[in-house]
Amino acid sequence: MSKPGVDGHWRGGVIVSRGLRDAGMEVVFGGFQNVEQIVESAINEDVDVIGLSMHSGAHIEYTKRVIDLLDDRGVKDSFMILCGGVIPAQDFPKLEEMGVAKVFGPGTVIQDIVDFIRENVKE
Amino acid sequence: MRKTYDIETLIQNFKNKDKVALAKLITLVENEPDKALEIFKHFDNSDKDSYIIGITGSPGVGKSTLINILAKQLLDEGKSVGVISVDPSSPFSGGAFLGDRVRMTEVSLDPNIFIRSLASRGHGGGISRAVFDISLLYEAFGMDVIIIETVGVGQSEVDIYNLTYTTVVIMVPGYGDSIQIQKAGIIEVGDIYVVNKKDLGGEDIVVQLEMMLDDATVQTGWRPPALMTNSISGEGIDKLVEKILEHKNHLELSEALKKKKKNRFEYKIRNLLTYKVGKVLESLISEEEREKISNSILEGGKYKIYDLVHDLFRNIKFEKKKESSK
Repeated sequence: MSKPGVDGHWRGGVIVSRGLRDAGMEVVFGGFQNVEQIVESAINEDVDVIGLSMHSGAHIEYTKRVIDLLDDRGVKDSFMILCGGVIPAQDFPKLEEMGVAKVFGPGTVIQDIVDFIRENVKE
Repeated sequence: MRKTYDIETLIQNFKNKDKVALAKLITLVENEPDKALEIFKHFDNSDKDSYIIGITGSPGVGKSTLINILAKQLLDEGKSVGVISVDPSSPFSGGAFLGDRVRMTEVSLDPNIFIRSLASRGHGGGISRAVFDISLLYEAFGMDVIIIETVGVGQSEVDIYNLTYTTVVIMVPGYGDSIQIQKAGIIEVGDIYVVNKKDLGGEDIVVQLEMMLDDATVQTGWRPPALMTNSISGEGIDKLVEKILEHKNHLELSEALKKKKKNRFEYKIRNLLTYKVGKVLESLISEEEREKISNSILEGGKYKIYDLVHDLFRNIKFEKKKESSK
């Protein structure tokens, strides 16, 4: 779970991580990280899912850069990417087109994220 | 869907220093202990040994932050560093919030470092079962130094001592009085003691530590130092690195390193045997049988607990296979 850039809205990523923890998942909390650090963390930790928590309005740009760098490193297919935070609904299709598996905007129930991960990540 | 790799390809990539392969092999040994058998067949013994440092202490004393700055210094000296950071698994959900890496962001992009977070997954002793296997993988990957960070420990989780050559015990100001410092357990396993967060005081803890260390009745030839650090400003870290190196030299010169290495393997052998015997037992005694016992104990037979477990065992026959003559 990472927060690209420094928009300061820490709480959302923490709450979702906590919810995933309580659902029996292991969450590596990365906190504020730049794109390179996010990709390096995901590789080192060999995670199933990369969660990007964004509240800065720069979600398209950051997500694009994460996906491009994953592609450069040859590991784009190794991870499922989920986005969350303050993201307007009209941007959901754009993100999904870029390769994001699902976007969880304001008002999301954590159980929906849990269910989505369980259904889409193989044990 | 996630790409899957076969072990042969992973090993080949691993030998070409591919971090993706290292990460995936770690996942394999962590999730499926029996895979280690298959994986380690591919390595010969020509790799140099890494130097293994353990960092332990209570939650929030600054272990991860200290590792960040310690690793930075080692990387600056041209060393490669493998970090293993363990945080606890939930006893309720089995999940974990792994929050050590967040303190190591500064060094995480150095090409010569690899950081892996682990959940303890029910293993006691302050580490996870996979720590040994991952340290073997780091050695095969050619890491000069391995740093193992325990979960935030209490008083008795001392497994780290069996897995490392230099154990650093970290404390903070306000630890307790001279009685606390005389207790057995975590407070006696340090090769180096660090009182971190020195901006908050802690001179009194150093004095208590010095007295405790001077009172040692078992002489090993190494008198552990007690240092003060501030892992955010970096104050005292030079001294810590110097003392780690001094301890390493001491171990090498006194043959104690060999003893430590042997102890590390003995620890793992005990663990492996317990794991294997545990599996055999699980196959011999069903969950239903165990539940039957706990139910009958619950229904008023609490003093029968030893009797019943003893009975359960009496019907099992362990036999050592005769060695086949060739």
